[in-house]
Amino acid sequence: MNKTADRIAAVAFLAVGALFMVESLRISKSAYGSAVGPNVFPFLLGLVLVFLSIKLLFETRNYSGATGEKLPRQYKKFLVIFIAAIFYAALLETVGYVITTFLFLVIGFQTMEKGALWKSIAIAAGFSLGVYGLYVKLLQGTLPSWPIWFQ
Amino acid sequence: MDTLSFLFDGFQTALQPHNLLFAFIGVLIGTAVGVLPGIGPMSGVALLIPVTASMTSGLSPEQAAASSIILLAGVYYGAMYGGSTTSILLNTPGESSSVVTTLDGYQMARQGRAGAALAIAAIGSFVAGIVSLIGLVLLAEPLSNVALKFGPAEYFSLMLLGLAAVSGLAGKSMTKAWIMTIFGLLLSTIGLDNVSGVARFTYNISYLYGGLEFLTVAVGLFALGEVFKSILHNEMNSGEIAKIGRVLPTKADLKESAGPIARGSLLGFFIGVLPGAGATLASFFSYILEKKISKHPEKFGQGTIAGVAAPESANNGASGGAMIPLLTLGIPGSGTTAILMGALIMYNVQPGPLLFDEHPAVAWGLIASMFIGNVMLLILNMPLVKLFAKIIQTPTKYLLPLIIAISVFGVYAVQVTTFGVFLLLAFGLLGYWLAEHDYPLAPLVLGLVLGPMIENNMRRALTASNGDYLVFVEKPISLVLLVIALLWIAVPFFMKLRGKTVIVNEDM
Repeated sequence: MNKTADRIAAVAFLAVGALFMVESLRISKSAYGSAVGPNVFPFLLGLVLVFLSIKLLFETRNYSGATGEKLPRQYKKFLVIFIAAIFYAALLETVGYVITTFLFLVIGFQTMEKGALWKSIAIAAGFSLGVYGLYVKLLQGTLPSWPIWFQ
Repeated sequence: MDTLSFLFDGFQTALQPHNLLFAFIGVLIGTAVGVLPGIGPMSGVALLIPVTASMTSGLSPEQAAASSIILLAGVYYGAMYGGSTTSILLNTPGESSSVVTTLDGYQMARQGRAGAALAIAAIGSFVAGIVSLIGLVLLAEPLSNVALKFGPAEYFSLMLLGLAAVSGLAGKSMTKAWIMTIFGLLLSTIGLDNVSGVARFTYNISYLYGGLEFLTVAVGLFALGEVFKSILHNEMNSGEIAKIGRVLPTKADLKESAGPIARGSLLGFFIGVLPGAGATLASFFSYILEKKISKHPEKFGQGTIAGVAAPESANNGASGGAMIPLLTLGIPGSGTTAILMGALIMYNVQPGPLLFDEHPAVAWGLIASMFIGNVMLLILNMPLVKLFAKIIQTPTKYLLPLIIAISVFGVYAVQVTTFGVFLLLAFGLLGYWLAEHDYPLAPLVLGLVLGPMIENNMRRALTASNGDYLVFVEKPISLVLLVIALLWIAVPFFMKLRGKTVIVNEDM
């Protein structure tokens, strides 16, 4: 087990637990027709989480130092795809479903592995148009269609 | 016999053409999900909730709930079956419950008997499905009748028991499992309080008033978390796929595996009924059992057909058995059933003892469709096994971005806000990080699903007792449940202290 990671997690969960406890103090204590207000349950849970985090913190002291060899990670690939996904979400409503999905998929495919650009374009176009057609035209669902400046 | 007439009604529901179609799509996608390494049954079911929600949008609420649960349950047991295909052909299990199958399955494939192994896995899964179905029919009514007598205090204790069972068996560290459970429960308190209508932890963000959407959390944690892991760890599928050869098993094969299938099905079913234990443990135990009672234990690991038949029957039996606590008590015993329960709640159908009274079409329709689904799986898989083997070769290059796109579509289609999509991405990151550092995700989802019910029952019990917390130990049934919950946590803990190894479910 990874000592540093678990310490970070323990501190983070400690903070989450404490935050829920403090914040639940601000919730009104009484509820009409109920002996226990809406603050009790989250407060108790926050308390338990704080205790468990402290327990985890103590447990990390017993971890052996060796954390196993580090495997290579594809951070660059991941970051490109993740940032593309954030842009995808942010632009979804203004640029529309078909265009954003198409672009995201082409970027995604090409980041995973370069090459076969036409195949990527074909699959991306097929998916985005297919989903849009099926969902909006056939099932009468709601998706942002085309860029707002076109409409 | 009331049960029989209900079951008959259930078949009428399940045999409606659109429900047949849904069951077919479910098992088909489920098998594909099981075959594809990287997407397990949990992410598969989570990913399909929004898709089914949009597919069933034209139906009445009750029908929509029945149809979508039929599809989602199909994915669940389809995945259980499909997982064996990769274990046998590639020596890489598609999900954790078919890890044991690799031991003998791959050896059989190397000896050119892959077809027989796949066929026996299909037959075993089918038999187990039928066995667990009979168990479900027999146990559903009596169990839900017992549960109907429960008051809020008993319910509260029962749900604590469910949480204790799942958290006690999940993951390598019990502390971590408990942290995830409590974290899930805490997340469930976000939003408007059900009883008083007070906004909790919403910070005036209007999207949060309805609470964290279960779907967003589940798809983010499981589906996106898995995708992020595959990208970061560069998990490209490679490896030679063994030749399948003759699909039909010989008479000798059938004779040899009849016993293991029967024992595996029963054992799997009973392990599945227990909350917390799951398909993975079931397959593991049945393999050990077969090895113990076999006349030739040395053959195990060399490619004996019993070593495929037993665990494959057991994991399917367990997935059927796991439906019992879900449908009768409203307590999901594993991550996947927790997701199924979340899906039912989305349709305003509350699993639990009242399910059979209030929504008989959903409950019995599901039970009947599991029977039909199992028949479909058998028919589908014997001739199509070669086609499914092709799915293994789907390049991850295309698969992973497509899963992200499907997740985004699903969340946006249900919620129609980009806030939900951002939340999805955030939970994807969280899911990857947590799973990477051995924090089990199933307890988190379980906490999130059970949270509101635990809180409501706790408050109702306390209101009835005028705020006296002793009410939970004064009622005999509640006390017994609490003691069992305590033992469930304490026994493995003390066993660990005494230096014994405790078998845990790594993921469910």
